[in-house]
Amino acid sequence: MNASAKQTDEHTPRPPGFRATARMLFRELRGQRLRYFSAMLALAVASLLLYAGPLVVQATLDGVVIPGAADGGELSAASRLTLDALGGEAFLRDNVWVAALAAVALTALAGFFTYLRGRWSGQAAEAIAKRVRDEAYDHLQRLPMSFYKNRQTGDLIQRCTSDVETLRLFLSQQVVEIGRALAMFLAPLPLMLSIDWRMTLAAVALLPIIFAFSLVYFLRVKSAFKLKDEAEGDLIATIQENLAGIRVVRAFARQDYEIDRFTEKNATHRRLDRRLYVLMARFWSASDLLCMTQKAAVVVVGGVLVARGELGVGAFYFFLTAVTLFTFPLRMMGRILTDLGKAIVALARLRDILEEPIETDLPHERHADLRGGVVFRNVGFAHDDGQRPTLSDVSFEIEPGQTLALLGPSGAGKTTIVELLLRLHEHDTGRIELDGVDLRDVRRSSLRAQMAVVMQEPFLYSKKIRENLTIGRPGATEEEMVEAASVAAVHESIERFERGYDTSVGERGVTLSGGQRQRVALARALLQEPAVLILDDSLSAVDMETESMILSALKDRRAAHTTIVIAHRLSTLMHADKVVVLDQGRVVQVGDHETLIAQEGLYRRLWTIQNEGVDEARVSGEGSDHG
Amino acid sequence: MAESTATEAHFDDEAYRGRFDPQLWLRLSRHAAPFRRPIVALCLCGVLMAAVDTALPLVTASLIDAAIAGADGATIASHAAVYLALVVVLCAIVFGFINLAGAVATGIEYDLREKGFRHLQSLSFSYFDKRPVGWIVTRLTSDINKIAQQVPWLFLDLVWGPAFILLLSGAMFALSPKLAIWVVAVLPALVLITAFFQSRLLRSQREVRKTNSRLTAAFSECLMGVRTTKSLTRERENLHEFQELSSTMHHHSLRNALQSAVYLPLVTFMGGLAVGLALWRGAEIMALPSDDGVLDTGLTPGELVAFMQFAGMLALPIQDLAMHFTRLQSAQASAERLQSMLDAAPEVRETPAALDAIAAQQSRIAAGETHPNEPIDGGDAVIDTLTFENISFWYVEGEPVLRDLSLNVRAGQTVAFVGPTGGGKSTTVSLAARFYEPCEGRIAVNGVDYRDRSLAWLQSQLGVVLQTPHLFNDTVRENIRYGRLDASQDEIVAAAELAGAHAFITSLEHGYDTVVGEAGGNLSTGQRQLVSLARAVLADPQIVIMDEATSSVDTETERVIQSAIERVLDGRIAFVIAHRLSTIRRADLICVIEAGRIVERGSHDELMARHGAYFQLYTKQFVSDAGG
Repeated sequence: MNASAKQTDEHTPRPPGFRATARMLFRELRGQRLRYFSAMLALAVASLLLYAGPLVVQATLDGVVIPGAADGGELSAASRLTLDALGGEAFLRDNVWVAALAAVALTALAGFFTYLRGRWSGQAAEAIAKRVRDEAYDHLQRLPMSFYKNRQTGDLIQRCTSDVETLRLFLSQQVVEIGRALAMFLAPLPLMLSIDWRMTLAAVALLPIIFAFSLVYFLRVKSAFKLKDEAEGDLIATIQENLAGIRVVRAFARQDYEIDRFTEKNATHRRLDRRLYVLMARFWSASDLLCMTQKAAVVVVGGVLVARGELGVGAFYFFLTAVTLFTFPLRMMGRILTDLGKAIVALARLRDILEEPIETDLPHERHADLRGGVVFRNVGFAHDDGQRPTLSDVSFEIEPGQTLALLGPSGAGKTTIVELLLRLHEHDTGRIELDGVDLRDVRRSSLRAQMAVVMQEPFLYSKKIRENLTIGRPGATEEEMVEAASVAAVHESIERFERGYDTSVGERGVTLSGGQRQRVALARALLQEPAVLILDDSLSAVDMETESMILSALKDRRAAHTTIVIAHRLSTLMHADKVVVLDQGRVVQVGDHETLIAQEGLYRRLWTIQNEGVDEARVSGEGSDHG
Repeated sequence: MAESTATEAHFDDEAYRGRFDPQLWLRLSRHAAPFRRPIVALCLCGVLMAAVDTALPLVTASLIDAAIAGADGATIASHAAVYLALVVVLCAIVFGFINLAGAVATGIEYDLREKGFRHLQSLSFSYFDKRPVGWIVTRLTSDINKIAQQVPWLFLDLVWGPAFILLLSGAMFALSPKLAIWVVAVLPALVLITAFFQSRLLRSQREVRKTNSRLTAAFSECLMGVRTTKSLTRERENLHEFQELSSTMHHHSLRNALQSAVYLPLVTFMGGLAVGLALWRGAEIMALPSDDGVLDTGLTPGELVAFMQFAGMLALPIQDLAMHFTRLQSAQASAERLQSMLDAAPEVRETPAALDAIAAQQSRIAAGETHPNEPIDGGDAVIDTLTFENISFWYVEGEPVLRDLSLNVRAGQTVAFVGPTGGGKSTTVSLAARFYEPCEGRIAVNGVDYRDRSLAWLQSQLGVVLQTPHLFNDTVRENIRYGRLDASQDEIVAAAELAGAHAFITSLEHGYDTVVGEAGGNLSTGQRQLVSLARAVLADPQIVIMDEATSSVDTETERVIQSAIERVLDGRIAFVIAHRLSTIRRADLICVIEAGRIVERGSHDELMARHGAYFQLYTKQFVSDAGG
């Protein structure tokens, strides 16, 4: 857990400055800017209309329903205008429904603009989310392998899913709220001032404090959230470890110990989560107190003014409504600003991936039809600069159709040779040639389409077995597929599944064993009809009997393609045309079985170890034969 | 990993079906029982809050009417005092209910997680065989979180909403029944609109969640299979498939966004409509205050303002209740999965007979009649024989994996199982370890059926070394210590030396304090095997069970492991699923298992002499290669 957390931190970009932030967000809005602008505009209009309704109500109350509550019946300019627009006081006195209808119509209009805002910002945000997802997916599969070396899968998945979600939520709900904030301050304020400045003061006096309070709170609570999230991560890691190792837990009967460890993490998590609630309780009650006090101020000042005859009941109602309308969004501003922070971090984490350079074809690279000749000339490669090289001065040759075996202890560089051949990494020094053509002049896609690799832990897509097999050659016929599966000695196992070749990999109840996966991957590779077939320790989970069956079936096909085999069992390698023995990134021996067995070296040493007792076995077998 | 996420998506699909199931929630609600008091307090908060919410506009109304009548300072001050007092009460309630909600939510979450975790520790392996780790982790984390965080708010709003609607309507009817009827008439419409939209929102949200889990699975597959994708040059097709998925996601979430874009303004509009109605009817009522001479049809200006405020608040409780219903529905899948996990019964557990024996032994220990270090069930401490008596076993009824298998092992013997994959070797050792129990026949320790002995005792006598050894993400030292928690440093080092792990451990940068990484990923396979051997040595088990690795380590490392194993097995009962010649040859008894039966048994020499299945297997694997 600690190790992984550290690793993640390394790749977490620092939050950029304000201007860079704005630029970054703005760039992400590309293609949808008009929609956003319209949505903001719609929201501004909607917020204005939300005040227009109460304005009509207040004018009607003061001019028509309860006239003369204020001194001399003097109406504010806004009320005057409103009343005239609706047909004048005399008309309205007999037709109050007109005013009521106008108020309802204004609310309906406000609703319509709110809808437009929701529609446009929703469309824009969803379109951006889709674009970002597609972009991330495609980018991930085109990044070079070196990118994945220090990355954690979980972290990358999180960036592509929950970080995109954070961004989407922000884009769909909060970006446009900036429009509301602006509209709120631009329109109601003049309106309120035109009605009564003392009431206006009573309605807005505490606003800066409410705003500052919520901002400070949300910034402070961030650290409490972070602590809780960390505790949660720790808890999840503990559960995960326990379940992944449940067989070990049982084997040593360590259930009580595990429960103790878990309980401790569970309690820490509860404590920190509980603390968040306490902080919330403090914030919301205090913030409520501030907002309600603001309202109380309106009520009290309003009461005094009405009593003095200086304010109409309608105006009083208007302020009462207005104060409710703007305190709530203001209280949310603190949250929006902290969410902005979260969205920025999410976006930066995404950009961090999207800005990594991908594998690209250079102009001089072209397609080449491979026959299977491979030459390594003094090839050197180091994974990281300054590190001990993984390969140095490696040379060997394979003729088309030949079989080359690579042998050596783990870490000798066998798999690296395969990776260089596929251009999953680029070699640093020396030269690799395919049928006389420099590897670097051949397009990656061309290269990889003509080579097939079977890895020790092969990956199968969660599709039907049939689809997995034919991925390498989509047009393959049923017979070709079955033939490949038979050579890989997996046909019978597949047939045993209830749904045969239509069984989905990873389906409930059906799991392929390691050996079955290896053999399915082998069949997939064979179906590709590659010029070069690479078996990277790819039969390690297959029992020896099956392996020898596969190998002899392969022998019949070998003429068709060049084969590169990596294995630890000499029985797998001994029939190769050439064996290259590697140690610590260098070629230490080259030759066929007969040559190597005659030499002092790793090959002979392994031969002796692996065949200990075999001769004796043969002798005893023969002995009993005679007996 | 890719496989597990795909499976996970599959599991999720399964659970999304089904309508609201009150029975399920009733069963789950039992877990809330310990929090009865704070929940009752929460409900009280709900009622109080509804009362204050209703009272505030009434105070305002009274103030307005008093003001119009030309109230003096004292009247206004007393109104202000009441208003402020109510505000303070309201804030106190807010503070109180958030705190209560915190106590309830975190408490239930803690309890459920603890119950779940404990339960998992007792479930049989068959449960874990069928479910990916990630799937179970999600149950214990986000599912529980989703459920627990809802409970307090559900109770609060279930009380507050109806109370508020009742009080609101009551207040309006008390002020003016004539006007109240008009305003309250909006309520049924609000409920209808809400019901209409919520059911649609619910459906689209479900689609969004479903698609989202498929998206996550797709990203996971993209990453896990990146090498394969590259070598198959499948980028374009992959992207194409992904775009189909992301378009589906776009489609569903856009629909969800548009539905809420319509719903919310509609609710606002209904509130506006109620206000308009109050104004229209209210003004008319005020215009004819005493027409028919009935006093209570009259309406003061203050009351009219109160009415309009009430009208504006009418939608709130309905929106809230609808939101809770939606959340409850969306949490139902979580609830189902959690409940099914808690309901899963462990297949292997202490039998009543064993429990009685344990209880009896405990009272003997309490009475000082026996030493606490004796086995907890009072049975024999030393295992002299382990006997398989006519064992049959199947995972699925009608598909026997082992048939009528018998075997007798004495202390100090090593039994090697050989034979083709799927023949039943792993099942046999799992039965010996009592990870599973035989379906027919019995396994006896010193002649006593092991089901009559304590499961915990038997398993504490086991040392298991698996083909792919699992290490915990901790230091090497802690991983070895796992074999015996109270082991001293010296004992740990001694175990590592015996297992042949000491040399490589000391060559690591941090020695015994090196962190092994997730699943031991910082160590090579061979190193992991040595550490797990050391762990088994430290446990000093009477029975060792070992599934030998095939060829995932290089030959020289294999040799180191081999000699370590020989030292470890010495003097214990050992069951080995053997691949290595040297292990097989030194076994006291070799059993060839094919199709669930022991087809041959004997020592290497005996079996070679017999020229049967073993001879075939043996010569085919080792000799033919050597000869060719």
